[in-house]
Amino acid sequence: MRWGWLLPLAALLAGCSDAKPDKTRLVIQRFFGACEAEYGRVTDIAAAEGECGIMTAMINRFEAENPDIDVVENIVFWPGYDQLTAQLAANDAPDLVTMHGSVISDYQARGLLEPLDADLTAIGAPPASFTSAARAAVTVDGHAWGLPIDTWAPLWHINMNLFRKAGLVRGGKPVLPRSPQELFAQAQQFRARTGKPYLVQGTANEYAGFTRNFYTFVMQQDAAPFEGGRANFRTAAGRNALQLFRTIYERDFTTKNQDYSAAVAGFLKGDGGVFLVGTWMVGTFDAESRKTSGALANGGYTVVPYPKLFARETTFADGHNWVMPRNNRRTPEERAAGVRFLKFFAGHARHWARTGHLPAFQAIIDSPEWRALPHRDNLATLATTAQPLPKDVRRQFPIETIVGTEAAAAISGAKPIDQTLSDMERRVNAVLDNL
Amino acid sequence: MTRSRLATGLVILAAVLMLVPLLWVLALSLKDNAELMTDTASVFNGRFTLENYRNLFGNGDVFRWIANSLIVSFGMTAGVLMLASLAGYGFARLEFPGRNLLFVVVLLGLAVPEQAVIIARHQMFSWLGMHNSYPALILPGLSAPFGVFLMTQYFRAIPRDIDEAALLDGASRFTIFWKLLLPLTIPAQATLGIFTFLSAWNDYWWPLISATNKDMFTLTVGIASTQMNFAQTEGLGFLMAQAVFAGAPMLIVYLFFQKYIVQAVAGAAGR
Amino acid sequence: MPSVAVEPAAAFTVPVPRGRGRQDWRSALFVAPYLLVFVAMLVVPLAMGMWLSTTKGDLFGTERWVGLANFVRLFGDAIFLKAVANTFYFVLLTVPFLTLAGLGLALVLNRQERWAAVLRTIFFASTVLSVTVVTLVWRLVFLPDGGLLGVTAEALGKTPIAFLNDERLAMPAIAVTTIWWCIGLPMVLFLAALQQVPRDLYEAAALDNASRWTTLTRITLPAIKRTFFLVIIIEVILQFQLFGQPQLMTLGGPNNSTRPIVLFIYEAGWRQWELGYAAAAAQVLFAMILIAAMVQYRLSSGKEAA
Repeated sequence: MRWGWLLPLAALLAGCSDAKPDKTRLVIQRFFGACEAEYGRVTDIAAAEGECGIMTAMINRFEAENPDIDVVENIVFWPGYDQLTAQLAANDAPDLVTMHGSVISDYQARGLLEPLDADLTAIGAPPASFTSAARAAVTVDGHAWGLPIDTWAPLWHINMNLFRKAGLVRGGKPVLPRSPQELFAQAQQFRARTGKPYLVQGTANEYAGFTRNFYTFVMQQDAAPFEGGRANFRTAAGRNALQLFRTIYERDFTTKNQDYSAAVAGFLKGDGGVFLVGTWMVGTFDAESRKTSGALANGGYTVVPYPKLFARETTFADGHNWVMPRNNRRTPEERAAGVRFLKFFAGHARHWARTGHLPAFQAIIDSPEWRALPHRDNLATLATTAQPLPKDVRRQFPIETIVGTEAAAAISGAKPIDQTLSDMERRVNAVLDNL
Repeated sequence: MTRSRLATGLVILAAVLMLVPLLWVLALSLKDNAELMTDTASVFNGRFTLENYRNLFGNGDVFRWIANSLIVSFGMTAGVLMLASLAGYGFARLEFPGRNLLFVVVLLGLAVPEQAVIIARHQMFSWLGMHNSYPALILPGLSAPFGVFLMTQYFRAIPRDIDEAALLDGASRFTIFWKLLLPLTIPAQATLGIFTFLSAWNDYWWPLISATNKDMFTLTVGIASTQMNFAQTEGLGFLMAQAVFAGAPMLIVYLFFQKYIVQAVAGAAGR
Repeated sequence: MPSVAVEPAAAFTVPVPRGRGRQDWRSALFVAPYLLVFVAMLVVPLAMGMWLSTTKGDLFGTERWVGLANFVRLFGDAIFLKAVANTFYFVLLTVPFLTLAGLGLALVLNRQERWAAVLRTIFFASTVLSVTVVTLVWRLVFLPDGGLLGVTAEALGKTPIAFLNDERLAMPAIAVTTIWWCIGLPMVLFLAALQQVPRDLYEAAALDNASRWTTLTRITLPAIKRTFFLVIIIEVILQFQLFGQPQLMTLGGPNNSTRPIVLFIYEAGWRQWELGYAAAAAQVLFAMILIAAMVQYRLSSGKEAA
């Protein structure tokens, strides 16, 4: 046997994964990446930075405080749903999983999640204590199916140094448009005075941004992109939302051909005035504005929710949540250990707020500590204005790609807007009709 | 002579084009992530660091993932070489009922795309409760008909008089296979070895859905799991360090097998 | 050979046949181990997949039997038909080039010198990278704003082209990426074949003062004909299964111009949870590869007979 030497090695490896007998095993499966090199031993949550760092420190701390629980941390490649689906099909699902609010109803509708109402109340984190956006994210059919971690929304990240140069700062605050016409006028002025486009967008081979913008500006017109669980795009509101970005593109008010990474680098280099990206970048840009060199230097950065360009102040939002997938083999002890982790997480939720995401608990948003974090005052309104899609819309994940790719075709001028809206609606409804 | 020079020149030019992205990967892996976030062109300013590699080794799981990948890749390579050589010899040289029909069926198997079988395979291993194990990671790869096809071709290319002479000497079929013919197929074994090891090492889909337990991750799945959602923006250098690290064992295996190909040629030339 | 009798493989010993063509079921023992794995890991799952393609359901259970409804829906699905066309287009862009370039490289690099070994390693090196890294690097190459080609174009005073955002250029760009990634395998296959060509043939040609061209067309190429068709079949099969490159570089866009069938299958099965529909698309892909491979095989055996 030339490969015989492998056998003892395999046995050795199999040996070290043996469960510790006197401990309850708790399998936590999450995204947000791995940063063991930096945070592997950190239990001081307040000292951790970034999504990965804070999450790792929290789990370390929980393990240290609960010696009777053996936490197995299964980190998966973003977003990890293919793996979770495979695990559920093999009846081998982990005890707790990170899940986007937009995905919850897919698993809930197939009976693959545990309802957590009673547990949430028992651990002192009842749904009533969540923000309305966070509550909407985990509630389906009147039951809570998870503990919300945060809410995120796309934001207007503003280069104040360029805004000042463009004459768009009044009283230390950025001047924001209140209608599409004002937006075009300000973008025109911005271009004339700085020679740069008003918007920075990562649009090359990225489609989620198109979708978020489309949903947001349809909802701002008091229209619903989805009604009764079906797409409803062929409306005046749908046309206006696409036309808005078509004009921005046509009149060169935006960077073009940047992918996500290039857009981030571009904004940091001062390529344009407003970067349309989510809550997760607040910390990075704020740190950059505390430096003395660079395009955002000397406090040249602020961030606000999407301005109200139409009738209603609202922004499309999604969020991260903890859910408990069904697993017939989970013991009551394991389930209890999972609930204890949720209790721990809810108790330390204020730390997660430092990631830039909007806290899931209203009490944190109202707290002076949170308000004291950079730019959070501007963002507090999101707790009421941020709006996820309705829960009767399943398969939001693939739908996002369909809407985004179609919208991109219309905005770049490859396809007429009306045809785009009808293609978009037909393709999305084909997905929804075949559930 | 000029034509040959021209060809060589073209190949060298192509090699340079091949090399540029590779060197870029290497250079990016030696750069600070924060610096890359603002400007990927900062590669040219000459400031390099080993930080990314330190972070890579700082994650203790990485070594386990390498061990898993090595076990799976070597196991699959050994298994494929064994099964394919036996079957290739059988199909090329021996007569048994239904041989031609069976060979055609195996050839048809070449056309089966992974996506057509992966879900059913997943269900089968679920029923057997075999996910998160080395057999689950290795067995599906053993069924690939490519090896049988390749080995049958090579055995057929070997002149028949070699084994017929041995048969007249009273050697058994297995002895002929093992002692006479197998050594002649070393270039094919090396090729098949490279091909199998490569596909096992870089396989992503099957390990992703079968090895869902962190302890059973292969290197490709494990490395992917450490990435943040926006790793390309925030950790470009780290991502590239992972790529270099994951690719290096493959290159070593290639160089190893290449030596065997060359040795086989040298042997043939001296014959 | 007295050692034969004590070898554990004695069970394989068969009586000396009186000539060729003698049938013996024990000879089948050589192929039995492989066939066992083949049936368990390929034939059975394929049959299950065929059954799934006639049902409606997701990974957690089958809802009902729908007959051929999935196939009917597929052939009325513009996105799927576009995916079929995209797949053929991609195979045409890559397979002939990979085959001929792989052969060319092997012919030039089939030498003992050190520089040839170095170049062989360079051409093989890209093959060891995973698809994630390959696509990331090439996105950085193709990116008009700050990418390698973009910077070069600007340095030359030209407007950078947005390759991956252009409906006509996106698929060729993916083909270039794929060729860069995959050229190592055909080269290695051809190298192995070249090294099997008996030396004495070349010695005889040299004695006849045959030109290089004559040696190539009369000796080398006929000797590696099997490998030539082998490479084509392998590449057709591999490239028909294009998946990671468009998934990671373009998501099938712009305007559906780069979505191949496997990406369609993935989206239907894992994103939309339509297992039956995905299984049906997989059967169509199977049929397409089968036909392509059979045409190749027919051609090759036809030529061999001639």
